Amino acid sequence: MKVLLIEDEIELAENIKQYLKSNGIICEWANDVHLALDKIAIYDYDCILLDLMLPDGNGFEILKELKNQNKTEGVIIISAKENLETRIEGFNLGADDYLTKPFHLSELLVRIQALIRRKNFKGNNKVIFNEIEIDILSKTVTIKDQIIDVTKKEIDLLLYLIGNKNQVLQKSSIAEHLSGDMADMLDNHDFVYAHIKNLKKKLNQAGSNDYIKTVYGLGYKWING
Amino acid sequence: MAKKLLHKTLQSYIIFSVVILLTTAPLFYFLTQKLYLEDAEESLMLSKNEFLQLSLPNFKESDVSLWNKFNRDSKIYPSKNLTQDTLFDIFYVDSLTSENEPYRELNSPIFIDGKPYTFVVKINLVESEDLLINIVLLFFILITLLLIGLFLITKRLSNNIWKPFYTLLQQIELFEIDKENQLPYRESNIEEFNRLNQSIEKLVNKNLIIYKSQREFIENAAHELQTPLAIFQSKIDNLLQRSDITKEQSTLLESLNHSVSRLNRLNKNLLLLSKIDSYQFSDVVNFSLKELIEKHLVFFKEQAQSKNIEINIQFNNEIDLKANIVLTEILINNLFLNAIRHNVVDGNITIILYKNELTFSNTGKSETLLTDNLFARFSKSNSSQKGNGLGLAIIKKITELNNWTITYSYSDNSHSFVVHF
Repeated sequence: MKVLLIEDEIELAENIKQYLKSNGIICEWANDVHLALDKIAIYDYDCILLDLMLPDGNGFEILKELKNQNKTEGVIIISAKENLETRIEGFNLGADDYLTKPFHLSELLVRIQALIRRKNFKGNNKVIFNEIEIDILSKTVTIKDQIIDVTKKEIDLLLYLIGNKNQVLQKSSIAEHLSGDMADMLDNHDFVYAHIKNLKKKLNQAGSNDYIKTVYGLGYKWING
Repeated sequence: MAKKLLHKTLQSYIIFSVVILLTTAPLFYFLTQKLYLEDAEESLMLSKNEFLQLSLPNFKESDVSLWNKFNRDSKIYPSKNLTQDTLFDIFYVDSLTSENEPYRELNSPIFIDGKPYTFVVKINLVESEDLLINIVLLFFILITLLLIGLFLITKRLSNNIWKPFYTLLQQIELFEIDKENQLPYRESNIEEFNRLNQSIEKLVNKNLIIYKSQREFIENAAHELQTPLAIFQSKIDNLLQRSDITKEQSTLLESLNHSVSRLNRLNKNLLLLSKIDSYQFSDVVNFSLKELIEKHLVFFKEQAQSKNIEINIQFNNEIDLKANIVLTEILINNLFLNAIRHNVVDGNITIILYKNELTFSNTGKSETLLTDNLFARFSKSNSSQKGNGLGLAIIKKITELNNWTITYSYSDNSHSFVVHF
């Protein structure tokens, strides 16, 4: 998987690159519009992460150029700007997702994965991890050919954990992922514990391995056996 | 007590008029009376002179009785030992009306056939008094009419002249700096009002610019903070992935993480407030408040679980709103989270929809909150609370924007926030 990161803030770019790399994603970096357009013209990417405010122009120029070149790369806008107009303009110009800074890297990763899944969608949209099979479209989880009863939120949590496998996930990042728009007001993340507990129980009952590990004081981790 | 401008002017006019009327009326009366008396005296002197010049030269002593017989107001009496003319007021009983009537009388010494006599002429003053009264009355009426006219004209004129002033006053009263209603500039044909208009326009524009730049500053500052916060956040995310973290380090990381989350929330809420201020939530739709609350109920029940809080719902009726749905959601969420945050373990929350009111009541600390600065930014009633001090400010802002009201009350160990739509 190859991703192009267009971001002028070197510190942030380095961190994103590092996190994606440890999850098996190759990340190339362009720090301005000019370099980004050069790279887009030469290479094909699975996904483009686009900051809107760049030193030599606006990220929207890149979206327009992608459209002109009939490129089909999925684009996630990562911007400090958060208002309805920029969001709408971004989506109108062909962006697929919009993530406002600051964000958790784990959140960015699952967004990239979801986008790529949607782009590569060929009749079925499934996430498979060993004996666990998640059907994104029908919102079902199958373990050893048996459909288990899980809520929408639990599927969301499962995808988030599997998507960030072998990474420590903070309670706050899980809470923000699960509560969406309401996260900005949330100051208590205790409900995450209840969700994790329930999910763990349901997976165990269906005969799945125990992949969810509690990392003391920090959060949770999905580990492969 | 402050009076209206027009009343103040008119009051001065009225006081002046009354004083003039009260002082000039007696003056006028006495002056007219004096003039009339002078006139009467002149007339008496004329009668005397006529008698002296025309009648006296051929007058005999025997003519005296005849003269007295046919002249009513002019008589010749035996000498009263006068040496010169004397004038005086005297009352006589009128034979026709049998009333005492005032007369002015002239006694003058004359000689008929060498013998001294007194020539008496008198003039009735009753008619003159009637005349005088009529004149004074006329004067009164005239002055009163003049004053009424003056009063009415002043009133009308003042109303017209001060009209631009009152219009301006009304506009200033309606003006709110955080609402986008400009003061319309009005040209007046009075120089002072033009100056006033211009000065106020200048003042308002200057304040608008300051207000706008301050608002933009908050928004820009919050925006600029997003990037360093993102770096901070991502560094922690990466640091967490290291396999060699000790227990001590993980405690440090946890508290760092807690702080960065708090910063994030604070910043997002500041951004939200400035966005509301700059009208970025202007699209309104019709929706049912009941459905909106029900939509989020599951989420909040989840949030309430950790404190084992019971949520009671009393939806007596529907409330249909026409507002921005995102902001209304934020309002509901804030009220909900507020009720959970400040609740006690095993407490409860009651949500009531009744008539056009939404009430959130919750158990909590058994004392009323200080209400003075309750809705102000960063005013925390208790420093140990977890909130960032913006929740109630956001609630207030959203209600103000929609012309709703919010009130807080405390009774029976229950804190209530009521939104009146």
